[in-house]
Amino acid sequence: MSHKAEAVVTESSLADERQSERAANRSYAAQVLREAFTQWGARFGLFWIAILAVVAVFAPFLANSHPLLLSEGSVISSPMLRYLTVGDVVMLAVFVTVVVLMFIRIRFYKKVIMLLVTGTLTTIIAFIVVSPPQLTVYDQYRVKQAAGAYDWVIHAPIPYSPKDYIRDAGDTGLEAPLASTERTHWFGTEENGSDVLSRMIHASRIALGIGFVATGIALLIGIIMGGLMGFFSGIVDMIGMRLMEIFEAVPTLFLLLTFVAFFDRSLYVMMVIIGITSWPGYARFVRAEFLRLRQQEFVQAATACGLPLRSILFRHMLPNGIAPILVAASFGVASAILAEATLSFLGLGLVDDPSWGQMLNQAVQSSTFNWWMALFPGGAIFLTVFAYNLMGESLRDAIDPNLKKSAG
Amino acid sequence: MLLQVDNLKTYLRVGKNRVKAVDGISFNIDKGEIFCLVGESGSGKSITALSVIQLIPKEICSHPDGRIIFRGGNLDENGTREALDMLTLDEEKKRQVCGARIAMIFQEPMTSLNPVFTVGDQIIEVLQIHRPDMSDAEARKRAIAALEQVQIPEPEVRVDEFPHRLSGGQRQRVMIAIAMACEPDLLIADEPTTALDVTVQAEILRLMKALQERNGMSILFITHDFGVVAKMADRVAVMRKGKIVEEGALQQVLHQPEHDYTRQLLAALPENLKRQRDLQLVENPSLAKLTEVASAQPPLIDVQQLEVYFPVKKGLFRRTVDHVKAVDGVDLEIPRGQLLALVGESGCGKTTLGRAILRLVDSTAGTISFNQQAITRLPRKAMIPFRRNMQIIFQDPMSSLNPRMTIVSTLIEPMAVHGIGESKEERIEIARKILQRVQLDGDHLWRYPHEFSGGQRQRIGLARALVLDPAFIVCDEVTSALDVSVQAEVLQLLMELRAEKGLTLLFITHDISVVEYISDEMAVMHGGKIVERGPTADICRNPQQQYTQNLLSAVPRLIL
Repeated sequence: MSHKAEAVVTESSLADERQSERAANRSYAAQVLREAFTQWGARFGLFWIAILAVVAVFAPFLANSHPLLLSEGSVISSPMLRYLTVGDVVMLAVFVTVVVLMFIRIRFYKKVIMLLVTGTLTTIIAFIVVSPPQLTVYDQYRVKQAAGAYDWVIHAPIPYSPKDYIRDAGDTGLEAPLASTERTHWFGTEENGSDVLSRMIHASRIALGIGFVATGIALLIGIIMGGLMGFFSGIVDMIGMRLMEIFEAVPTLFLLLTFVAFFDRSLYVMMVIIGITSWPGYARFVRAEFLRLRQQEFVQAATACGLPLRSILFRHMLPNGIAPILVAASFGVASAILAEATLSFLGLGLVDDPSWGQMLNQAVQSSTFNWWMALFPGGAIFLTVFAYNLMGESLRDAIDPNLKKSAG
Repeated sequence: MLLQVDNLKTYLRVGKNRVKAVDGISFNIDKGEIFCLVGESGSGKSITALSVIQLIPKEICSHPDGRIIFRGGNLDENGTREALDMLTLDEEKKRQVCGARIAMIFQEPMTSLNPVFTVGDQIIEVLQIHRPDMSDAEARKRAIAALEQVQIPEPEVRVDEFPHRLSGGQRQRVMIAIAMACEPDLLIADEPTTALDVTVQAEILRLMKALQERNGMSILFITHDFGVVAKMADRVAVMRKGKIVEEGALQQVLHQPEHDYTRQLLAALPENLKRQRDLQLVENPSLAKLTEVASAQPPLIDVQQLEVYFPVKKGLFRRTVDHVKAVDGVDLEIPRGQLLALVGESGCGKTTLGRAILRLVDSTAGTISFNQQAITRLPRKAMIPFRRNMQIIFQDPMSSLNPRMTIVSTLIEPMAVHGIGESKEERIEIARKILQRVQLDGDHLWRYPHEFSGGQRQRIGLARALVLDPAFIVCDEVTSALDVSVQAEVLQLLMELRAEKGLTLLFITHDISVVEYISDEMAVMHGGKIVERGPTADICRNPQQQYTQNLLSAVPRLIL
């Protein structure tokens, strides 16, 4: 049967040389991505994640009680910019760098290095330069505007900060979407009276951040451990496997609960815990791939050429075994988001900052069922997890040569 | 006439492209005849066979033209078989014909039997499908008879065994037994011995020929090997790019080929290459000096009592219960400048020995020295200077190059590690020169491996070994995966480079005819030991050991 395949391959390349030439100019990764994202599921997933990313980065511009621009006695100022935090600035800088790098044609690892450099630099600079006022009074703009102190004001599309409880309007509390005639709350308000849409926009940062950072930590540990285990096998593999089994035996959620009970409720601790308890899955993938690749002749040839171990592991083996790990990672991001949502839903998430899971928790805690408190954050969690799963599945299909053959 | 193929066209759809895999071929097979289709890979010979038995999925293939008339349907009143057109036959009828009247055996015996059924079940299933009235006891008896027919020892025991207990040759026998169970009129054999060792191949071929003579069936035999053709065929057709370029009786095609392509193919056989070279040597004896070996010097590679054992671990605590002795006490000296061929069947340890010499596999005992320096136990770092001088070229052109790296990075990375060339530009220039030396275009540097054919990849593998300017190269079955014409080019290139750079080569192969062409000296390996060593011409003419004699007599030869 191999001859059949051969005949197909050799003669198809003759049949349409031009197309194969064009395909040849793309690397394997580009081909896989191209194939994965021609599927509608993956396109939808990518679309949703892209929207989320933009929303998360530009959250202060989209939902903020501080006006974007105002003119008071013909002096123009931007309270929004004044109140930007260090985190906001770094996020914006990294986002701009990513967009710029996407259009520059340089090698991938150089892009990664440039991104890391800009990230660290802006963080340092932002810590020195950016110092938002300690005290925030959200009401002041509305009071002054009502008193006619401003010449003109440009508000954000949603003129409420996530923690703006609208004290100036009295004890507002829960309000259904578009129920009030005085103020527009597209997604209603929660029990303290703050805008649900604004809270959701700001919470998307936590959702994306925890997914990426936790999976990133897990990937880093998993690839290094799995790579060493797969390449050296023997005693290294034995010890590594036992270590992995220890970590796999730790239930992530209960560890998180314990940590939250004893220590501060910090987002970073959560990320690290999710990261260091989920690496064995990736390590298993990498180990299996490396065990297979170790026998491949190009790896033997690299050894025979006397190449250093670093090059053999990371230049020759890793790029050939990375694809299944990326698939697992896209599912991993989804499960990290779910873990955070679960924790917040149980009331053990972050205290002050909004998160989707915590909003769901609020929906069940009040005496009446407030559908807008359940539907919108729940929908957002569902769509995000769904989007990652869709992308994961189409990536998996794209790297699966068996599926490709039957499709051809 | 049993089978009549008339202007058959089989087009395959690959994505949006249409491939003319078989493009208008016609041939006939008479009753009791062995008809061989010969061709290089991609010539469409397998697709032809699959078209006859209609095994290609309908979704990917179409037959815009042609007929396949098979005279093997039900008996009519006059006692002649009904003629069926395989292309237009309905599914139910096709099912009755396939397996019963036309049977097929495949190339890979390891995967063509179902591992979860016993050998007997698989024969009985075929029997009972085509003869629903047959009782279980009767079918079992027939299955045992079928196994006996293909000369499987103890058929009463073997019938209840699972395929993993059988060797490759025995599995292929079982496949033949399944195919023969219903006594078909036509047997299609698609490279049935390509995956087998030469001694097993000889037995299988003898068996097929005997069965064919006894049952009077016809065989459509697909192969790429002219030696097998010479042994089996009554008539031969040579295929190229979906067309038959030449067809005729065996002797006529082999000895008076009319088409240029057939002549090229025959000229590229190692037997013929050797003959040509011998003729040249007679005319111009000075050429012989190039291959002379300086035997006075100490050997470049000296292997003493080398053992490579792989532990077999069993039980709860993974205790080592036994060893697989891949290399079992080998002494091997290779003088500088010699081309030593290491010959053996699969599993004899020849590949492991080659890799152990390069320290790619750790040895259990014994010593290896390169240029009189012991390298057996050198740590990784200390090995690096030796790596430059000892290189390897692999069998599989698909997996021997990193698919994610351009040719240029594959070639210049080792140079950078060993400090060859001052700058990146200089290294690229060296790589370009070497690529041109192995007869590839310098611009190929910027491409990825998947853009090259098997022969081109093998040249790149050669180039990768050559960039370090080594003294010693292990060639591990370098031409086994290549077509015969490409093989000839690669072998000639290797010979030229050897003469030019004074390389010492360990040429590992299973193909005796290549050995005869290329090597001065050969060593025969069996069961992890070297059983015989000496000048190639002497061993081939007059083998001393029983094993060598068996091996050499099993080689299908083309008498020219």
